[in-house]
Amino acid sequence: MAQTRRFELAMSPHVGSDQTTRKIMYDVVIALLPALAAATWFFGPRALLIVFISAAAAVLSEYLCLKFMKRPVSFALDGSAIVTGMLLAYNLPPGVPFWLPVIGTAFAIVVGKQAFGGLGHNIVNPALLGRAFLMASFPILMTAGWTAPEAWRSSTDDLWKTNGIALEELNSIPDADAISGATPLNILKQSFDLDSSAENAIREGDTAEAESLEGKAACIRSALSDDSTYMNLLIGRRGGCLGETSVILLLVGGIYLFLRGVLELRLPISYLGTVAVFAWVFGGSGWFNGDPIFHVLAGGVVLGGIFMVSDMVTTPVTPRGRIIFGIGAGLITMVIRRWGGYPEGCSYSILLMNLVTPLIDKYTLPKEFGEVKENG
Amino acid sequence: MSLIKDLTKGIYRENPVFKLVLGMCPFLAVTTSVENALGMGAAATFVLICSNFLVSLFRNIIPSKVRIPCYIVIIATFVTLVDMVMNAYLPDLHKSLGIFIPLIVVNCIILGRAEGYANRHPVLNSIADAVGMGIGFTLAMVILASFRELLGNGTWLNINVLGTAYQNQPLLIAILAPGAFILLCFILGFFNILEKRKGGRQ
Repeated sequence: MAQTRRFELAMSPHVGSDQTTRKIMYDVVIALLPALAAATWFFGPRALLIVFISAAAAVLSEYLCLKFMKRPVSFALDGSAIVTGMLLAYNLPPGVPFWLPVIGTAFAIVVGKQAFGGLGHNIVNPALLGRAFLMASFPILMTAGWTAPEAWRSSTDDLWKTNGIALEELNSIPDADAISGATPLNILKQSFDLDSSAENAIREGDTAEAESLEGKAACIRSALSDDSTYMNLLIGRRGGCLGETSVILLLVGGIYLFLRGVLELRLPISYLGTVAVFAWVFGGSGWFNGDPIFHVLAGGVVLGGIFMVSDMVTTPVTPRGRIIFGIGAGLITMVIRRWGGYPEGCSYSILLMNLVTPLIDKYTLPKEFGEVKENG
Repeated sequence: MSLIKDLTKGIYRENPVFKLVLGMCPFLAVTTSVENALGMGAAATFVLICSNFLVSLFRNIIPSKVRIPCYIVIIATFVTLVDMVMNAYLPDLHKSLGIFIPLIVVNCIILGRAEGYANRHPVLNSIADAVGMGIGFTLAMVILASFRELLGNGTWLNINVLGTAYQNQPLLIAILAPGAFILLCFILGFFNILEKRKGGRQ
């Protein structure tokens, strides 16, 4: 349809801008680099290699697709494929085999992007679609490839045993061996499991058992809310996906994007704000005693909030629509974290909201200047 | 001559799945293995031939106002037959096809052929049409099931093709529901390209 209508100029005034797709995309690549440095520091050169392979595979798939569809192959280097490849790699556990990102990005580019008509026509974020595809295809690899931070260059004795959680507190829990998990969110999930076992114990009348289970859950939660845990989450010394760990360096990238005029703050702020409020209200054992700081720092919401919720193609264009999108994605993320089967719901929440983006856009369209209410 | 044409048109030119896009429900649901696809194809083909035969035979007797209920009764009769015979002699296949055997009653290929072809063509042509459509449907299901079983399980008709190393980490999504939709899109796209090439030559 786009081809049949000729390009028409709207009535003046026109806004001039030297922003181009290529410039924006390479700005995003630059903004992603600090987090890549953190990934390399904590997970070793292997992480760097995975990101590189993923980006290269993305560009290659894009090139082959464009060649096959007889379109200008120079599009392959406009940077969008590199961004997709890097973001997909950032969403993988650091221990995955090297062929996994290749399959993931090939699917992301071929099915997620080019099959829908290329950049600007894709319905959902291709990188997240690639991740969802890998999750469905290789569930074991995608949930077992966690490596402990700094494990690659320190001796095995004084490893960060798991995940950036304050270990002394976890170790003070009676039979702490039962509590293990590669990522902070996995451990949080276990505290919820303990809560529900405690409820079962109460129903069966075993109050002593219930008290000990509740005590364990409270211990875990206090360890998660410890200052040293916050510090580790902030700098990225924790188990998790490749590029999601270092919150502070992701923020550096976000600030760079904001200063370059690429990042629109409504989306990330409404998203992260919703996550924080929801975590405070529902995130604890009762009401209004959750830990918003932990929920914002843990998992991939900062990576998602800065680089994926604010994707220009798949999110609403209207200001009100963007706020609705951020709130919706935040709600779905937290519902999955709190009650869902997965420890983290960031990627699925964004994919789901991507699907309703056209609807949001339709209902938040601003009134045209001079428009009169129908039958008014 | 027209008999042969009726027979062959269902295989490619008017393939019920790839060209008419009918019968999607069993097509997407039971193609997790080639064995299931063959079983489903055989069952549907049998029902299709019998129902086309009877509908064509009675086409001048059935009042047009109540023709759809009549077709349904005819189709349901044969589906019940297939259901019982398969349950008696092929219990494993019956188990893995499950609800999709009784659902052949509402398969739109069968009703479509009864309504669109058999009720205005002679008996022999209707049977030829049913055989062709049945083969086309079975072929389409075997094609999709081959991709799904190979990618998702590393086997073809339960024969290990891609080796145990692949079977440890197969492309699991291929035998899940999303894989069926994605692969169907690729196959339909492939046929559209073929059609376009053919159109371009003329």
